[in-house]
Amino acid sequence: MIEVENLRKTYSGFTAVEGSTFSVPEGEVFGVIGPNGAGKTTTLKMLAGLVEPTGGTARVAGYDAQNPEMRKHLGFLPEESPLYEDMTAVSYLQFFADLYDVPTAAARERIHDTLDRLDLEHRERPIGDMSKGMTRKVAIARSLVNDPEVLIYDEPASGLDPLTTNYIIEFTRELAESGKTVVFSAHNLFHVESICDRVAVMNDGRIVARGSVENIREEHGQTEYRVYTTVEVEGSVKENGHYRRTVESMDAVEETRELAASAGGEVADIQTHTPSLEDIFLDLAEDSPDVEGRP
Amino acid sequence: MNLRKVLRIARWEVSKNAGQLDRRAIAVGLVVLLAVGALTPMVAQRGVTLDDGIYQVGVSPESPYYEPVAQDPTFAPVDPKGTLSTGEVGPNPKADVVVCTEEMVRCAPGEVVWDDTRKGKAALAEFRKTVKQYNDLLMSRESNQTAAFPVEVSLRYEEQTGLNPAGASGSSAARTTREGEERLGGGQSGGTGSPGATTAPGGSAGSGTGDGSSGSDGPMQAPSVGSGGGSLFGGNARGGTPSDIAPPFPFESLVLAFAFVLPMNFVIQAYASTILDERINERGELLLVSPVSRGDIIAGKTLPYLLGMTAIASITAVGIAILTPAAEGATAVASTAAASVSAVVPIALLFLASAFVGGMFARSFKELTFVTVTLSVFLTSYAFVPAIFTNVHPVAAISPLTLVVKALRGTAFSLGEYAFSTGPLYLSAGVLFALGAGVYREEDMFTQRPVPLKFLDALDSQISGRRSMVKLSALSIPFVFVGELLAVALLFALPVSLSMPVLLVAIALVEEVAKSVHVYAGFAHDRFERTLRSAATLGFLSGLGFFLGEKATAVAQLVGLPNLELGRAAFGTVTGLGVETSPLVLLGLLFAPLALHTVTTTITAAGATRDRNWYAGTLVVATLVHAAYNLTVVSYLG
Repeated sequence: MIEVENLRKTYSGFTAVEGSTFSVPEGEVFGVIGPNGAGKTTTLKMLAGLVEPTGGTARVAGYDAQNPEMRKHLGFLPEESPLYEDMTAVSYLQFFADLYDVPTAAARERIHDTLDRLDLEHRERPIGDMSKGMTRKVAIARSLVNDPEVLIYDEPASGLDPLTTNYIIEFTRELAESGKTVVFSAHNLFHVESICDRVAVMNDGRIVARGSVENIREEHGQTEYRVYTTVEVEGSVKENGHYRRTVESMDAVEETRELAASAGGEVADIQTHTPSLEDIFLDLAEDSPDVEGRP
Repeated sequence: MNLRKVLRIARWEVSKNAGQLDRRAIAVGLVVLLAVGALTPMVAQRGVTLDDGIYQVGVSPESPYYEPVAQDPTFAPVDPKGTLSTGEVGPNPKADVVVCTEEMVRCAPGEVVWDDTRKGKAALAEFRKTVKQYNDLLMSRESNQTAAFPVEVSLRYEEQTGLNPAGASGSSAARTTREGEERLGGGQSGGTGSPGATTAPGGSAGSGTGDGSSGSDGPMQAPSVGSGGGSLFGGNARGGTPSDIAPPFPFESLVLAFAFVLPMNFVIQAYASTILDERINERGELLLVSPVSRGDIIAGKTLPYLLGMTAIASITAVGIAILTPAAEGATAVASTAAASVSAVVPIALLFLASAFVGGMFARSFKELTFVTVTLSVFLTSYAFVPAIFTNVHPVAAISPLTLVVKALRGTAFSLGEYAFSTGPLYLSAGVLFALGAGVYREEDMFTQRPVPLKFLDALDSQISGRRSMVKLSALSIPFVFVGELLAVALLFALPVSLSMPVLLVAIALVEEVAKSVHVYAGFAHDRFERTLRSAATLGFLSGLGFFLGEKATAVAQLVGLPNLELGRAAFGTVTGLGVETSPLVLLGLLFAPLALHTVTTTITAAGATRDRNWYAGTLVVATLVHAAYNLTVVSYLG
């Protein structure tokens, strides 16, 4: 459904995105994560046809992303969605339905159905009088007004309270389950981990890791062993009355035990730690190795 | 362009903004509209009467002066009698001018006395003028016009420079009739020759000229509008004494013409705001990602404002045409209104296009206010100042407002005049919309950059390669034309010895900027290699484009503007007007501008390859070279 090949974007000598390549099959939820300025939003906007790539290609729903026809098959939700405050939710959505050539009756039914699913009340109230969460729901409803095959959501739950955030994440999951292809970025990696089939980790405009969460964890998130000793050994730090030395293999655990013994102490505890996506992300963001996980 | 979507966006634009108006704003708007609606017909019907009742004249109803005083709204007739400190009856001390009666002491009956103040003297002068006009009117009603006006003089009105207005025929050397003949003294239109009839009965007020024979066929000017019995816009047909002939200044017409332009200044504020509003917090992004082109979006957002402006202009035109008909009949009213509106539409378009660009370039509403006010002042000046000289000077042909004034006065204008006045505005509006549309995209729309840089971004958006230089230079011609016309309009009143050199430099600067600014934009955005070879290529292409586009200004010949000395300076280098020499030399002269434009643009392009300061420096050099060329042409060939 989405094919991205060597996508590149530069602004007056500054490279925002460099050589991004990935594909998203139909019905998949694809997450794009990375620190601020990593190139996530630029990538999503190139997919949405808003930003013209400097190089490479992006195809969405069978169309080049720059082809206006593609927009009919796309629902885009920008990170910030300031709407027209003086319009009501229904009139706002009806306006966009008209632009997407949705027949009036079908549009009305779809609008109310979507707002029902989003549990949005006060539909005839001016958008300016709504809370941020309600406004976000209207923006999500707008992205669905044309019943698109592809959804591109940039930080869909940005700045919302936990309750609304969970609601929107669940709603996104439902959309994916209904067969829509979803690409979305998020800062909250827990959400990404919980609903994404695959992710791409971006840093400095490049994709530094790509694949399923499990694969990435396997590839980049090596299991750690935290060995707690009663005496200080080389490379250890004091923690809760003991000395912690973090190592990555059982051989290193044995070596630590020997070091502690030679210093007149012993191993008090050994803990195994499997890194979360966030740990991997932070690690990759620091090192930015240009490596990829298995697709 | 998808018309259905354009209309849908237009409807949305209206409903969206309607929601922004609270009841108080709507009430204030209605009051303003009502005030304009009420004042405009009053102005149309009565002229500007700021001095109504300003002078008090003590005159009894039995006095022969009572009638003229009562008819002139400048005066307020009051009781002539007052009480002196001695208790005797004397002139009313509250009156500025008093016509004495028999009861008064120290004042002969019929004698006119006045308060010995500046106001009293001004009142006396106005009183004399009114009495004289009244007498002229009475004379014009005499059945025996030959007796009333024994001397008949035919006047031929001529332009100051001996030029024809647009569309008129005749050679530039001939001093030809402007609007047909006027007749002084007698004639069917009712002459107002005043053979000393205003002599006051025994007072100092009598100062009739008694000179009905002083008319000549020299460079007389059009009669003032609205003075005396003529209709406001049809006043040209009346006669008058030579002393009546005042410099033509169609003040009322201009006030009414201003009524067309004034609402535009308010409309563009709203329009520019809605454009900027789309850019605040990236609000317009969702429209950009929907299946409509940016052309549809811009057209849809602009349409309601253009229609609104046209509607206001139409209502104003119809109102004026009904209240002060230059000709009777519904057809005449419709034709006057249509002609007026057709001339106002390009002004409205240019206002909107400028506001659009302002809305696209400004970073904040504060900056937008500055931009739109500047644009308002500039465009209003451009439209308004030349129109002051309607039927007086060919420079008036620059402004479409002149056509409005002509239409309201019942004077026809030719298609050539229309094309000359409105063509640059239509083209400029088109180019401005194109420039703004170039940055109506996600990458430029939501960035916060200073206005000059945004302007360069907009130019850069139109560059697709070196050949774009030809296109952009050619498209700059309307702006060059407008800029040069404005320079002519501002400088033509000065002595030629002063205005000419200033104009030559101003024109050179305008043209050099127009030819090189997009070249600079290209280099600034790293579109081209920063080498002298590249500069030479771009300079040549830009100069070529300008040369080709410049030929379009030959339309200036349609109205004879180039025959005006300043006009020749402005356009002579383009058209080669006034040159009488061999075909070979003419051919050389035809291509001399090409050489000039390519050389000077190459100079600026070379500077543009470095940085802004170098560009500015080479721009000065190119301007001086260009001005020297212009001076040579004007001095030796023009």
